[in-house]
Amino acid sequence: MAQAERQRSVLRINLDILNAVRDEGDAKPTHILYKANLSHERMTRYLDDLTSKGLIEMKQEGENRTYRLTPKGVSFLIEMRRAESFVQGFGLNI
Amino acid sequence: MPSVYSGAETRVWTFGLDRMSERLKLQVRVELLPMAASAVVTFSLNILSAIVALLTSYFAYRFSRLVDNSVLKAISVGFMLLGIGLIVDAGTSLVSGKTLVESFAGRELILLASFTYLTVQMVAYVVIAVGYAFSAYGKRIGNVAPVVLAGAAALGLYRFSLVSYFVTFILLAFVVFQGFLIHSRGRTRFSSIVLLGFSLILVAHFVLLVSVLTLGSGLFLIGTGVQFLGFVSLLAFVVRSEAVGAG
Repeated sequence: MAQAERQRSVLRINLDILNAVRDEGDAKPTHILYKANLSHERMTRYLDDLTSKGLIEMKQEGENRTYRLTPKGVSFLIEMRRAESFVQGFGLNI
Repeated sequence: MPSVYSGAETRVWTFGLDRMSERLKLQVRVELLPMAASAVVTFSLNILSAIVALLTSYFAYRFSRLVDNSVLKAISVGFMLLGIGLIVDAGTSLVSGKTLVESFAGRELILLASFTYLTVQMVAYVVIAVGYAFSAYGKRIGNVAPVVLAGAAALGLYRFSLVSYFVTFILLAFVVFQGFLIHSRGRTRFSSIVLLGFSLILVAHFVLLVSVLTLGSGLFLIGTGVQFLGFVSLLAFVVRSEAVGAG
C-alpha cells in the first residue's frame, strides 16, 4: 500500500480525494481517508491545500467536521474527467 | 515521357518536375483527371482532416496544461504541425496543375508548398512517435529523433516525396505498435479508438506510398480517403472524451 501511495501523483491523490468528497456529498474525514487510501497526516495536508484553492469547503458542526465540493471543485472535477479520458486514449495516466 | 500523358502533363514534365517530386506529379495527375471533382475531393478531405488534427492539438494542449504532461505536449505539437501541413496541401491541391501548366513563375511556389507539406508531416509524426517513445522507454530515446530526421533529410535530397512517405510510414508503424502495446496492457474504449485512427492513417500512408511509386492517381485518392477516415476516428475519440466530463 505504501509503495502504491508513493507511485500516485499529487494530482491523482487530489482527484481521489475530490471523487470521495463528491460521492459522499458531505464527506467525513474518515470516509475520505478510507476512499483516498491516505494516512491521516497526509490527508489533512491535502484537504488544507484543496480548501485553500477553493475546490472544497469545510463545514464544522460541533465535533463533526465534513467537506463538500464547491462549484469551482465541481468544474475542476468535470475537466479532470475529460482530461483523464483523453490521456487514456494515448496510454497515459494522470 | 509515356504517351498516355496528356498534352498538359507533358508540358508540366518539360519543366523538369519529373526529377523533383513524384508526389507533385501525382497531384497534378489527380487534378487533370477527367473526373473534375477529384481535386475538390482531395481538397475537402484534407481540409476536414486538418480541422480534426488542429482540434486534437487544442485538446492535447489544454489537458497538458492541466496535468503537466510532456508527452501530451508533444502530441499537441505533432497534431498542430499535421493540421498546418494538411492546410498547405489542401491549398495547393486545387491549383497546382493549372499553375504548373500556365505559369512558369508559379512553379517554385508550388514546389515549395509540396516540400513544406511533406516536411511538416514527417516532423509531425517524428514528434508524435518520440512522445510515444518517451512514454514507453524514457528519455534516452530522445537522441534517436534527430538521427531519424537527419537521415531522412539526407536521403530526401535524392527523392524527397518517396523518402518522406517511407519515413512517415515507418514512424506511423512505430506509433501503431506502441498504441497496440498500450491497448493490450490496459484497454479502454478511448485507446481502442485512437489505435483505430492511427492504424487507418498507417494504411493510408502505405497506399499513398504505393501510389507515389506507381504514379497511380486512383490509389492517391483512396489513400487520402483512408487517411480522412483515420482522422474521423480521432474526432470520435475527442468527442467521446469530452462527453465523459459532461456525463
